[in-house]
Amino acid sequence: MKPLLNIENLSINYMTNKKDFNIVKDVNIKIDERMKYGIVGESGSGKSLTSLAIMNLLPEVLKIQEGSIELNTDSTKDLANISKKEMRKVRGREISMIFQEPMTALDPLYTIEYQLLEVLKIHKTYSKKEMYKIGVDMLKKVGIARPDQVMKDYPHQLSGGMRQRVMIAMALICQPKLLIADEPTTALDVTIQAQILDLMNELSDLHNTAILMITHDLGVILETCERVAVMYAGQIVEESTVEKIFEEPAHPYTKGLLSSIRSLGNKSEELYSIPGNVPTPDQYQELGCRFATRCPYAMDQCFNQEPLMYQVQDDHLSKCWLHVEEGRANERSSERTRS
Amino acid sequence: MREVQNVLEVKNLKKHFPIKGGVLKRTQGYVKAVDDISFAVKENETFSLVGESGCGKSTTGRAILRLHEPTEGEVLFKGDNLLDVGKRSFRLMRKDMQLIFQDPFSSLNPRMTVKKLLMEPLLTHKLATKKEAEQKAANMIEKVGLSKEQLDCYPHEFSGGQRQRISIARALIVNPKLVILDEAVSALDVSIQSQILNLLIKLQQEFHLTYIFISHDLNVVKHLSDRVGVMYLGQMMELATTDKLYENPLHPYTQALLSAIPSIDPKEKKERVILQGDVPDPSDPPTGCPFQLRCPMAHERCAEEKPRFIEKEEDHWVACHLYEE
Repeated sequence: MKPLLNIENLSINYMTNKKDFNIVKDVNIKIDERMKYGIVGESGSGKSLTSLAIMNLLPEVLKIQEGSIELNTDSTKDLANISKKEMRKVRGREISMIFQEPMTALDPLYTIEYQLLEVLKIHKTYSKKEMYKIGVDMLKKVGIARPDQVMKDYPHQLSGGMRQRVMIAMALICQPKLLIADEPTTALDVTIQAQILDLMNELSDLHNTAILMITHDLGVILETCERVAVMYAGQIVEESTVEKIFEEPAHPYTKGLLSSIRSLGNKSEELYSIPGNVPTPDQYQELGCRFATRCPYAMDQCFNQEPLMYQVQDDHLSKCWLHVEEGRANERSSERTRS
Repeated sequence: MREVQNVLEVKNLKKHFPIKGGVLKRTQGYVKAVDDISFAVKENETFSLVGESGCGKSTTGRAILRLHEPTEGEVLFKGDNLLDVGKRSFRLMRKDMQLIFQDPFSSLNPRMTVKKLLMEPLLTHKLATKKEAEQKAANMIEKVGLSKEQLDCYPHEFSGGQRQRISIARALIVNPKLVILDEAVSALDVSIQSQILNLLIKLQQEFHLTYIFISHDLNVVKHLSDRVGVMYLGQMMELATTDKLYENPLHPYTQALLSAIPSIDPKEKKERVILQGDVPDPSDPPTGCPFQLRCPMAHERCAEEKPRFIEKEEDHWVACHLYEE
């Protein structure tokens, strides 16, 4: 069976008259139906740009340079190469998206009713009464206690958690096949975050919706996803199931990231930290690995040749030269048994 | 003897913001951002305040420094009540208490070089001549892990983590006793966050600093703090040493808060306490215990009577009817 969403060799460039540099490079992601897929990375890693590319919402200066984004629903479409009119039919109906900041994503001048039902008005042919009923049902499903009242409210009358619930209701009201959630809980408090993640899991099971979760928080990934891609400086550096990434991380960046979070619990130790700073796109190396300057294992090769994606185990990819070199690879596995 | 050890003592601190409305801008009510909280901070320790947004943790930090003039209460700094001191002499005292903000992008003046930024506090407090200040700035910048060559750069030339290093250098250059860190690492990426935390710990030992660390990130707080206070709707719900709080949280709110942190260990599947509802409107808080509307253990008494803040066991305070005799 074809995957629901198949991104192949996606590269995005920043292009103006003066400058032209690569930001996202060679992203490959396959999401099956009903799958919960996560992309994790720090700010500037290109995770949000990848999701915007799927929705055809990239800002003017950013262009898809290469690659395809294939969406297989009733028909097969390449979203990297689609007319605006066609795309409008996809957004909200087949793929929908929720954003980090629900206050800026909702229009302050319209009631929740208007904004919630707008999606239905565009994509479906229901009568007004039917639409209202579907809207109220949807609000109930996202755990809003007084749906009739909330329909009449304006966004500013709702709390952050409620707004995010409304956003989820809006995103799921047409029962899309894929829900892209871009840092959906970053602006929320932990107790509300727990509620929202719980709700998203529950609803995606109920409606058979696949989720693409974009976040910087590995905890959120573990909580919601089955598979995960780790992004660094515009590239996927490691990709596997969540269990494998957490238990046997292969790429030095993933390892560093996990160690720095895990040592947080340990008070006596000095925190593990990855030295240096996240590079900005104009600092990306033309040749070699983009993580090399911060990598504790970096070799000469890492600075002049871009690493390939290696299959380190079944179903586990890592983009690092360490996996070829026999000696190093063994050293790492012995390290793993020691810990 | 105990008084001597405490660098800072906060007693019954209140900060109420008036809500003005109508044509005449009359006061219609109050938001009780901080409502009667007390705690003491010992020398050389890290005391953390945690809670969700709107719980009053930042307001507490600012009220201590009188950036928000407290409504009521006492703030004793090494025995002197800061709230009795006149504005002018308070300004002199302020060099002993520094504040580091969350957003290193907005807290540094973009038109000043790093050197000027670092020299400014020394010159304002007349602690050094220009030449000495220049020397001190050069020393300080190396202490925070940047190089002397970067003294002539402007803030926009630095990344977020580096800017936070500059903010730290700027706060520490006047040799303060107490540093209040308001969400100081929240805006940083994970890999940078741990660098800054290590730096903060190193500098604390080197300069014998006392930290008040305000944060919503319970993992970071656990790593850094000696004692932790949990706030909810302007009130202190629980206060204990870090180990006691994380291993044996007493208050139902603390329990829920701790269980809500997404786990990073795939083997650890924890029992979740998922709280219903949102934090109530602080201008119209519930009667009795502020947490009673969301509390899974609430009973009748919680709506009627505000629980007292009691010391349940040594160094472990809690405000909950479950633990009152």
